[in-house]
Amino acid sequence: MIIQIENLKKVYDTGKIQVEALKGVSLGIEEKEYVAVMGASGSGKSTLMNILGCLDRLTEGKYILDEEDVSVLSGNSLAAIRNKKIGFVFQSFNLLPRLSALGNVELPMIYAGVPGSERIKRAKAALERVGLGDRMHHKPNEMSGGQKQRVAIARALVNDPAILLADEPTGNLDTRSSEEIMEIFESLNDEGATIIMVTHEQDIAMHTKRAVVFRDGSIISDKPIEKRKIRRGEIQA
Amino acid sequence: MNLVESFKSALQSVRANKMRSFLTMLGIIIGISSVITIVSIGQGGKEAITGEFQDIGTNIINVQVKAMDTSIETRDYFTLKDAELLKEKIPGVEWVAPSAEGRGYIKSDKDSKFAMVMAVNEHFEELMHLELLEGRFINQRDIQNAKQVTVIDDISAKAIFGTTEIIGEKVKVSNQSKDIYATVVGVCKNVNGGMAAMFGDNMPGNAFVPITIREKVLSNHQISEMSVTLTDMTHSQEIADKMIRLLEKSHRNEDKYAASEGFTQLDTINSVLNIFTMVISAIAGISLIVGGIGVMNIMLVSVTERTREIGTRKALGAQNRDIMLQFLTESLIICLIGGIIGMTLGVSLGLVVGKMINIPLDVSPLVILASFGFSSAVGIFFGLYPAQKAAKLDPIEALRYE
Repeated sequence: MIIQIENLKKVYDTGKIQVEALKGVSLGIEEKEYVAVMGASGSGKSTLMNILGCLDRLTEGKYILDEEDVSVLSGNSLAAIRNKKIGFVFQSFNLLPRLSALGNVELPMIYAGVPGSERIKRAKAALERVGLGDRMHHKPNEMSGGQKQRVAIARALVNDPAILLADEPTGNLDTRSSEEIMEIFESLNDEGATIIMVTHEQDIAMHTKRAVVFRDGSIISDKPIEKRKIRRGEIQA
Repeated sequence: MNLVESFKSALQSVRANKMRSFLTMLGIIIGISSVITIVSIGQGGKEAITGEFQDIGTNIINVQVKAMDTSIETRDYFTLKDAELLKEKIPGVEWVAPSAEGRGYIKSDKDSKFAMVMAVNEHFEELMHLELLEGRFINQRDIQNAKQVTVIDDISAKAIFGTTEIIGEKVKVSNQSKDIYATVVGVCKNVNGGMAAMFGDNMPGNAFVPITIREKVLSNHQISEMSVTLTDMTHSQEIADKMIRLLEKSHRNEDKYAASEGFTQLDTINSVLNIFTMVISAIAGISLIVGGIGVMNIMLVSVTERTREIGTRKALGAQNRDIMLQFLTESLIICLIGGIIGMTLGVSLGLVVGKMINIPLDVSPLVILASFGFSSAVGIFFGLYPAQKAAKLDPIEALRYE
């Protein structure tokens, strides 16, 4: 199991009021799974993503990522985990505007201490993998939304992470680009990547293989996707 | 992230905001360049003055009437006899150059020039290192015969006659109510020549006349100073004491005279110049601090602007010290570039100003090193807080920042 969460609680302490964003969630994700995390805003899915992504610390419970108990880690150790084991794809791409596609893809390797020549080699390979071999030296503002997201995917892949975390990756894209991105994710999954994707769109979730639905800080359903069921609206966000 | 990467990244960011970076640097540029200019000119000035003093000679003792003393009477002033007495009675005295002076004019029927009128003897040429351009200096015969001759400076000669070839011309040398006609026997370089740029057209001229005709030329013709050269300076203090005792004995007075060596004055001038340089450098240093605050300000803006970038970098695995290093190198680079520009500017400015006031520039490598050190220190000191602020950002909040 690549991700193992037991009785995970997250409480936001805002002084007077304590908000329980996650109320004891347990979840296991196997290697090579492709999971959609769904739910309305405020359901706790973003909190879960932040914790899964080692951006936030849990209040109670246990989180084991790739056989390492990360719930006991903090600060810089979490940064190292993010660098090596997690690939992020954000809704708003989060590319650095001054860097070329290549430069953006190089970033995680810079923090991993990969030497320059190898960095460029690997970044080029990752960009070619997402079909941007001819756009390597373009800046983000010279690219379309779909292309930007593909750069972001290349960046997420380049350190060969244990999981790929995508947070509404098609939220800012038109239908055509969304389809392109979903195709890339699917083929990555086919090649063996473990992907966890937060989305509130059912037709996007339809591309995944398992849907975990959140409501009020708890999982209300966790089922494998059968495409016709989604079409009939049997899996609800 | 290593240093090379953070330097690359910082340079990129500086280049991306050219105008802003330049304006931020300006504070550092002004600070560094003014410190360098001032210190270099101060240093050069000190050396020029030292050089001049060494020119004048280190084997000179100046004997003066304490002019500040209100109890000084006419009989306390030196006479030509005193000068002879010193030379005859005190072993080790090479020659004595008494002088009296006053502000006055050199006139012809065409024109006139403001000048220092000095009644001197033949040793004055050597004493002041006068550079004769035409004719000769006042000699012993002029003095013995109290001849109405004069040696004037080149600036006055040109101002009045338009040329320095004026040997044999008659000029009127005046001081307050006194004036005489004197024949020009020589033209020398102006004594204050080095300060020409400072005075401009108002540079006073020089008119030297034999000391024996001082009563005809000078309203106040008292001899208040004598320059004495010694063959050997090793016992200068004892010789100076001896001279003063002899003068006191001959004038039958006490505590009216003072003797000083050239070097004592040099030390005073040097220490004044040092204080002057230090004070102005301190003021310039303040501008460096102001520049540093400007750097801090712009770095804080930069951190806020790039909050999302910081969040992204952290999500991708940047540790706090990576972010810290990134912003610290950025402020360091701004200050270092500013320091280099400031240094170049400071040295050029020093050269120009030094040329204008005729002081050779002395740019010590220490000053250059110090300015590098200083601008780096400013960069690190004022970059620390913004960099720390950036490093401490919470990745989730930073990623969410609009």
